[in-house]
Amino acid sequence: MSTILDAPRPRVNFSLLSRFICKPVCFVGRVEKVHSTGKTFTLADGEGQCVSVELNDALEEELSGIVEVIGIVSNKGAIIASTFTMLREERGILFDLELYNEAVNVIHDFPQHYPFDAAESG
Amino acid sequence: MSVNLTAGAIEALFNECPVENPVLQVMNIREYPPGKQGHTRYRLKLSDGVRSLSCFLLASQLNHLKEAELLEPNCVCMLKKTISSYLAKKRVLVVLDMDVLQTAADVGGKIGNPAQLTDKTADQQEAHRSTSSSDEIPGPSGYDTRSSCENSGIKSSLMKSSWKGSPVKGPGMPPPMKASPVKGPGMPPPMQASPVKAFGMASPVKRSGMPSPMPASPSPGPSQSPTKLTPIDDLNPYVSNWTVRARVTNKSDVCNWSNSRGEGKLFSFEVMDESGEIRITAFNSEVDKFFSLVEQNKVYLISKCSVKLPIKRFTSLKNDYEITLGANSRIVPCDDDHDVPTVHYDFVPISQLEAKDPESIINVIGVCEEAGEVSLITTKAGKPLFKRALELTDASGKTVTLTLWGDKAQRFDASCHPVVAVKGARVSAFGGRSLSAPFSSTLMVNPDIPEAFELRAWYNQVGHGLCSQSLTEVRSPNGEFRTNWKSLSDVKTEQLGHDGKAYYFSSVATVVYACKENALYRACPAGSCYKKVQERDDGRYHCDKCGKDYPVFKYRFMLSVNLADFGDNMWATCFQETAETLLGLNAEQLGHLKDTDEDAFNEVFQKVYFSSHIFRNRVKLEMYNDECRMRVTVMDVLPLDHRQYSRRLLNSVRALARDN
Repeated sequence: MSTILDAPRPRVNFSLLSRFICKPVCFVGRVEKVHSTGKTFTLADGEGQCVSVELNDALEEELSGIVEVIGIVSNKGAIIASTFTMLREERGILFDLELYNEAVNVIHDFPQHYPFDAAESG
Repeated sequence: MSVNLTAGAIEALFNECPVENPVLQVMNIREYPPGKQGHTRYRLKLSDGVRSLSCFLLASQLNHLKEAELLEPNCVCMLKKTISSYLAKKRVLVVLDMDVLQTAADVGGKIGNPAQLTDKTADQQEAHRSTSSSDEIPGPSGYDTRSSCENSGIKSSLMKSSWKGSPVKGPGMPPPMKASPVKGPGMPPPMQASPVKAFGMASPVKRSGMPSPMPASPSPGPSQSPTKLTPIDDLNPYVSNWTVRARVTNKSDVCNWSNSRGEGKLFSFEVMDESGEIRITAFNSEVDKFFSLVEQNKVYLISKCSVKLPIKRFTSLKNDYEITLGANSRIVPCDDDHDVPTVHYDFVPISQLEAKDPESIINVIGVCEEAGEVSLITTKAGKPLFKRALELTDASGKTVTLTLWGDKAQRFDASCHPVVAVKGARVSAFGGRSLSAPFSSTLMVNPDIPEAFELRAWYNQVGHGLCSQSLTEVRSPNGEFRTNWKSLSDVKTEQLGHDGKAYYFSSVATVVYACKENALYRACPAGSCYKKVQERDDGRYHCDKCGKDYPVFKYRFMLSVNLADFGDNMWATCFQETAETLLGLNAEQLGHLKDTDEDAFNEVFQKVYFSSHIFRNRVKLEMYNDECRMRVTVMDVLPLDHRQYSRRLLNSVRALARDN
């Protein structure tokens, strides 16, 4: 887990997952379904597309709302999570997932302004 | 050298039977000078020696034949290509190609004795011209059935109606209009004097060059549909019994007045048809009758009103007259509006408003991005008046404030960023450049015009994210107006405020430091004197400005803060109101804490560090003790809406990308 947090992990949405197979990413989405085992759940991104997230250890608490997951993308397009955080509603301000999605698109549309590779090497 | 005319050709053409290259003689040529569009058209009466027909229209590419005088009455020609068409439900045969076989001079005279074959357009004109007037009567009735009377009433009723008894001269009804004072567009003017009820009158120039020939025919009974219409341009006080078909271009609100003679109300609207425009006013009871019926941009048949000289000129219309609605006036919605031109507004792009003179009247269209609340003000006359300010933005990339008054202000629904168009808005120099929608203007919300659709499409794709510059200065205390966003680094790079004039802008920034030591000062307790007081030995406080001593003082804020954003940081001063907003308590309370509870006092400032807000600032070059400094004053502190900020940033990125 310490290794993954050392490397840059670009924020992605569903459509970008395919570019980051076997790479670390940061995915923010809304909890859709939690599997009964508690070891996997699905998140929907700002465009409504769902991604499956797999955990090493089962969930201990109720998961709902917006969650940020850091993990590696599997060949099947799921995310093997290393760590995750629930973004709680703060002072009544709701997290705007659609707006977040637009920002994610901007980051990837202009790689020259958001260089992840440089950070990696540096 | 006699040429044989193709007998039976006229009948065949009329019945749309194919006939190859018929040879016909030109009986007559009528010129129809343009209404408001296009070139001259020539209408031909052609004969095959047996029958004649006057509904031939020369294609404009053949106009040269007439103009070169090759084509003139009595010449013989061969029609090589014709096309049958309908103009305003009237049958027309357009001659697309023809050859002149023999000039009039060579022909010598009329060939045969053709009988007029009337088409649906009740060609009294031709009848009147043709030498064999006796033919007319049997003619029309004979072909009655054949001419598919789409304009049913006109022809058939002509024959069968009781108008024979009318004092108008005989069924042929040659137009006595020659004497009428009305100016026609080159056509014989309408027959004003006809006793025919209500309708009747010159058919309007529906298409350029193809008006139906002089009508003068009485219209059918009031219950039947087709009516003879008068072009607006032909209206004058001497015309009676006219009907106009026109589109409403501008509708005003109801204006109430009361003066020494009593009370009254009026509303007015402007209408246009192909020939021109005219203003119509309704008073008192007519206001009740017609105000809700008349709608902007719709077409109506209007009749039985009085045409007068204009009482007051509130419009820029070119008509010498105006219409007043009376008790007998009729306004009927008309479905057949494809002949009536749609209004052309000539909207001025917002970016060009700076070039317009104040007080000029223009038309504008834009998307309403923000709308202030309706406020009630009192006019100089002491009357209450509603007002509302809107922010309009358009594809020119600029924004302007439009002020609505009275009913318009109250009725306006700002939801969903409507497209707003104003005809007759007044440009004002208030705040730089702004717009006002006076009583006489027309406000249209989401109008059904192409400019509105284009604007909507632009806004949905592009405009909603742009933060365009407003031509109207940002002044409103409640933040109604469009904000002038700058980053803190812009202040230096753009040298804002360096010209000595106060420059107002807004920024998203974070408080990184606040000077708590000198946040408060002791001020004169008297009214609005805020001067710092000196403490005297006897414990009283002396104010230099008032020249008096006071037993007490008032704490007031003069808080220095350091604001920072991604680009830069700067010092700014918050006075009473803004400091109170920022710190969350008033000067007295803080003063008390300072004197009593140091920890609580410090805590107040701790809370403010690293808090982000929207700061509306004023930057100005100021002299202070012979020193010139840039002083930034915080005018307003507003809570930061992260979503709004994010959206603005995202849109700026996209806009930047697009522009590069």
